[in-house]
Amino acid sequence: MDDDLIIGIDLGTTHSLVGVVDSGFPLVLADSAGERLLPSCVTWPAGRAPLVGAGAMRARALAPERTVASIKRFMGRPFADLTAEEVETTPYRLVAGSRGETLVQLDDETLVSPEEVSALILGRLRETAEQALEQPVRRAVVTVPAYFNHSQREATRKAAELAGLSVERLLNEPTAAALAYGLDRLGEDASVAVYDLGGGTFDLSVLRMREGLFEVVATAGDTRLGGDDLDLALARHLAESLGLGPLSESEEAILRVRARETKETLSTEEKVAVRLPFFRGGESHEIEVTRERFERLARPILDRTGPICRRAFAEAAEKGVASVERLILVGGSTRIPLVRESLREWFGLDPDLSQHPDEAVALGAAIQAGMLCGRVRQILLVDVTPLSLGIETFGGLMNVIIPRNSTIPVKAGELFTNAVDGQESMAIRVLQGERELAKDNWLLGEVVFPFSAGPKGSARVGVQFSINRDGLLEVLARDTATGEDHVLEIRDAAVDVEDEAVERMIGESIDFAFEDMNERVWTEARLKSEELLPAVEAALGAVGGRLSGEERDLVAAAAAGVRIALADEGHDAKALKSANAALDEATQALAALLVEAAFEDAGP
Amino acid sequence: MTDPFALLDLPVSLLLDPSTVEESWRQRVRETSGADEAEASEIHSARALLSDPVARLGAWLEAKDPVAVPERGIATELMDLFARIGPVLASTDALLARHRKATTALARAVLAKESVAAQLAVQGLLQEIQPLKAALTGRFAEFEAAAAGGSYGEARRALGQLKFLKRWEAQCRERLLALLAT
Repeated sequence: MDDDLIIGIDLGTTHSLVGVVDSGFPLVLADSAGERLLPSCVTWPAGRAPLVGAGAMRARALAPERTVASIKRFMGRPFADLTAEEVETTPYRLVAGSRGETLVQLDDETLVSPEEVSALILGRLRETAEQALEQPVRRAVVTVPAYFNHSQREATRKAAELAGLSVERLLNEPTAAALAYGLDRLGEDASVAVYDLGGGTFDLSVLRMREGLFEVVATAGDTRLGGDDLDLALARHLAESLGLGPLSESEEAILRVRARETKETLSTEEKVAVRLPFFRGGESHEIEVTRERFERLARPILDRTGPICRRAFAEAAEKGVASVERLILVGGSTRIPLVRESLREWFGLDPDLSQHPDEAVALGAAIQAGMLCGRVRQILLVDVTPLSLGIETFGGLMNVIIPRNSTIPVKAGELFTNAVDGQESMAIRVLQGERELAKDNWLLGEVVFPFSAGPKGSARVGVQFSINRDGLLEVLARDTATGEDHVLEIRDAAVDVEDEAVERMIGESIDFAFEDMNERVWTEARLKSEELLPAVEAALGAVGGRLSGEERDLVAAAAAGVRIALADEGHDAKALKSANAALDEATQALAALLVEAAFEDAGP
Repeated sequence: MTDPFALLDLPVSLLLDPSTVEESWRQRVRETSGADEAEASEIHSARALLSDPVARLGAWLEAKDPVAVPERGIATELMDLFARIGPVLASTDALLARHRKATTALARAVLAKESVAAQLAVQGLLQEIQPLKAALTGRFAEFEAAAAGGSYGEARRALGQLKFLKRWEAQCRERLLALLAT
């Protein structure tokens, strides 16, 4: 038995895996049923212990409100941060906790946190590892999306702790994939980019590999972009094409499962016959979906990865990596042919498909674990922080203290003084993000530090912000008079308000949120219509002449559909949303023409 | 913070070649692998400072002539540029705000024309800023020679102007990156 053993875990949105380095080679461990991929899904059968994995997946249609999938999307995010769309399209019920955090409500009595759900998944992986290795396991490297902020990382760390695992390192997923790629290419010097599109998150990282040193130079991403979004778009398309009307939670769940299977099949087939036997009692449905049709739905979602890549490439170029020699694809969604074609078209690079899309991250986690426990010696790794860290200053602006893409660990200090006589403490709001205005960035919380009371300007406190190798923030205050250091706690920003008041406020907002969910969705949809209709007018005025008569008629019909839905006094939110979606789709060619025209006008 | 030149075992020189800084940093990373976070972060900061010519000039002056008062204020030859940067940044920010509000491909496409124009304007500014910056950082050999005679005035004046240019360059780049995503 090896007390120093560390395992590597890929805690994914849709699947999770566990790996270890054995005799110098990383490998993914299988559970007692021989499965390496554990569905990241937990269900709570009434009166019984929770069930994790494939069994829980099968319960999605039967008990949608007691079955939690894709919990990773909600890790470390306050309830107020979720959009009405996210709450509405999640089959289980999301509510706000007493600190404003997001919780899952399974029934009238049971609330579980995203950390607890993730802990059950991590616990299951720990069991798999213990069975496979025949020894207890207490330490792990756990991967996170590179673009996760401090709160999301902290929630992941806490989940592992709940599962009885000490987190030896939080490792960025694309970095992990690069380790898996580079392990048997240590002699090569290269600049590589990892394009990691998973079930729920997207990351792009650019790395320089030189003499066994893996250096991340730039990273960018979107923590709410992945295969789940494609499933949802396809499920909506199926519901609409079949004219299914309003769906129950279970019907929605069945449709989502079918959509996912259809998406997966379309990666290798040109068309699929989607069957829904005995859907809603006696009804049976069948419809054919072609790859071309799916790609039209997927393109707007996948196109969002383009600018993120360009941004990371531009930043890497500023840091001396002018060109990327290899573009490594990982994550299940990179099996989609359109992803590969788009990358070829955008960057003229033939994607490197040498890595297993589902396993590369887990293998990388295992390698990092091996590095930490001395089983892998020839590799060194340095990573960066994905988001700028700053504090709120006068006028609600964000003052950047640590810029994004700084090599971690990193430290930076600021000196503060008392602004009034006798002031005993000061609170500063800590932010993460890239926007000028404080309110547009993530508020990580507040830190309060003490002054020794004295006349204005006499007290001086040096506050040091540091980001450690896990990408977690630590704040340290040093009283310059005494030279004493203390670690400051980052508190949720709402704790200053009286507890009872907070509970009432949040209680009200939950009631409000759920009673008025239709109204909230209607308002979001109405805003979208009000944005689209004038845009259609403007676009037709500018480039309408380039459309065929038939195309113009289609746009006009879709616009008329939105106007009719908008005039509905009953505020049918679903109808307005689908009218918007139809207009959105009908105007895709028009949008492309406008962009083309803008570049032509600016051309030489 | 400890002298960044010393941290990377490099001579206190303005004329460091970027690859020398990189090589020393890699060497130090290897030597200190598994070191505590405080030491590792100092090594990373030292490399970040010395790879950037403006920060390197600052660190060099700090090491050579720490007591002198920094130069403040914008030189007259930069005033005209300064006056033109503000409005371009402000109008770009307004455009970016409209863009962020747009939720549909069509609404974003309607802004494409303005977005292209803004990109050209910001690029134009960058094309003015970069040669000015290069002209000042191109004088590093001259500053080293003057320093041998105990004179730091020119270097200090250059640092004052370079700090402005660097800030404007960063602001323009930030807008350009945001526009690229539109």
